[in-house]
Amino acid sequence: MRDVLLVAWFELFRAVRTWRAVALLVLYGVASAGAAYLFAEFVGLLEQAIADQLGVARTETPGAMMQDLLDSEQLLDVLSAMTGSSGVAEQLLDIPLPALFFLWLGFLLVPFFAASASAECIATDTRTRAIRFELLRTSRLELVLGRFVGQLLLTAVASATSAVVIWAVTLWAMTGVPPAPLAGWLAYYAVRTWFFAVPFVGVGVATSQLTTSSAWARVMAIGLTGGSWVAYGVARWMEEKERVPMLADLALQLLPQGWIRDMWSPGMGWLGSAVACSALGLAAVSLGYLRFHRRDL
Amino acid sequence: MTPALTLKGVSKRYGRGAKALDAMSFTIPSGSIAGFVGPNGAGKTTTFSVVCGFLTPDEGDVDVLGQGPFVPGTFKGKLGVLPQDAELPDRHTPVELLTHLGQLQGLGRGEARREADRLVELVRLGDRRNARIATLSHGMRRRVAVASALCGSPPLVLLDEPLAGLDPAQAYSLRDNLAALRGEQTLVVSSHNLGEIERLCDWVVMVRDGRCVREGPVAEVTGATAVSRWELGGPVPLEALRQALPEAEVEVEGPTLVVRSRGRGVGEPDQVAKAVMACLVEAGVPLRGLSRGVGLERRFLDDE
Repeated sequence: MRDVLLVAWFELFRAVRTWRAVALLVLYGVASAGAAYLFAEFVGLLEQAIADQLGVARTETPGAMMQDLLDSEQLLDVLSAMTGSSGVAEQLLDIPLPALFFLWLGFLLVPFFAASASAECIATDTRTRAIRFELLRTSRLELVLGRFVGQLLLTAVASATSAVVIWAVTLWAMTGVPPAPLAGWLAYYAVRTWFFAVPFVGVGVATSQLTTSSAWARVMAIGLTGGSWVAYGVARWMEEKERVPMLADLALQLLPQGWIRDMWSPGMGWLGSAVACSALGLAAVSLGYLRFHRRDL
Repeated sequence: MTPALTLKGVSKRYGRGAKALDAMSFTIPSGSIAGFVGPNGAGKTTTFSVVCGFLTPDEGDVDVLGQGPFVPGTFKGKLGVLPQDAELPDRHTPVELLTHLGQLQGLGRGEARREADRLVELVRLGDRRNARIATLSHGMRRRVAVASALCGSPPLVLLDEPLAGLDPAQAYSLRDNLAALRGEQTLVVSSHNLGEIERLCDWVVMVRDGRCVREGPVAEVTGATAVSRWELGGPVPLEALRQALPEAEVEVEGPTLVVRSRGRGVGEPDQVAKAVMACLVEAGVPLRGLSRGVGLERRFLDDE
């Protein structure tokens, strides 16, 4: 366990000093900022529509009609689309809207960031054989787990960065959003997005064990991540249409996206999903390790 | 005493290509500085990689320090390696990297940091200790890699071309540092520079086409204990020498006296030298030069 933590800490430092990882982190931060700004604009448009319906004057700054917005059917429709459930959406109306947006955005973006960044964590060092310096001193399993934990730490940094960016952009672009509660909810939801990212970090670490080309590992990781969304869509369609329900149910258990609905839960129901996502991440890493522990390095 | 390293019939083939190792067998005694020499493609780097567990042999046995094949968990801090073709993790400074490797070998953080400080001074990188490895020259990186192999003073150290890429002053200094470890640690040094091996090592393993073709003490392999050449400044007292050395072959090649011992005992060369010197002094013949053996390079070329 000590070796796993040592490798993880070293891996985090290596990653944040690698321009690709930093570029991805910056890109993710910029994407979060842009998305937060667009979300504020979207809230403004909804409020203008509500103002028109109520026959009152339009407001200049998004958030000025927040209470009217929270009471509106339009918002409930938006939240139902975001969470995939009108029942869950109704339970979320007490939570600051930007925090809900952050969680939705995290579910959408963090998997790609996590898979892409973690895909080079072993492949590059295998190609340059730099991995030998550590492999002489620790087992292959501890090295892989250490790199996995290191990438999870990097993903935590990314989630935290995104939360801070969205908090700052929201306070700048919107009015009527109390800063402290928003910060609390963002921090809480950052933990959920991080757990949701675990399987995708696992996918990246798995592909990184299969090849010595970091580019190829990244292509595989992003392909599998995108493919998981497609598979999720198909499984949901099969579930709704009651086509091969056993297969649809199995797919929803094995795909991280199948646990999203519980991740939206306002109570502690999301913890079960967190455990499931962690297990899926470890399973993905293990699949890569089946090849890695036997290969010549 | 248990040998530091033993290979018995180790074979390794890459894919469907030719065998990189073909029943490689040799033994390295504990406490020695052993040269591991052979032409390009002879299997030196592959042998090191097999010993370290980076490559899995197709067949054969590897015994490290009398404890069986190398396993990182159980051999923590007992084996150091300078891989020839591995790049260093270059996002870190030498001290950060060496501290990390020291910790992985089981040292506490403070102890690992002190060891890293000692090593950067040993390889003369004290002034670049906090520079990113990516910014260091090839020779400096090589020295960091050597330092990593010596980290924690492991009892067995494998060095694949340790002096490659170093300037003469750096090479001299590092050779001195390695020589100072004689008797304390077992070093296995792979190199193309046979003169360097002859100066540094007391044991040699010669490999060719994935096999060991000769092994033993350097003096024995080069014949230093068996042949001596004396360059003289006057007539050779041949009869007196033959009487003084009845167990040796004594010949004259121009101005050079060649003495070949028939035995290979360690004490014999000194007895030969004493007898020859006594004869020369008695005959009043000046001595202008003396060499022993044929040299590792000559021996290596003769074997081809």
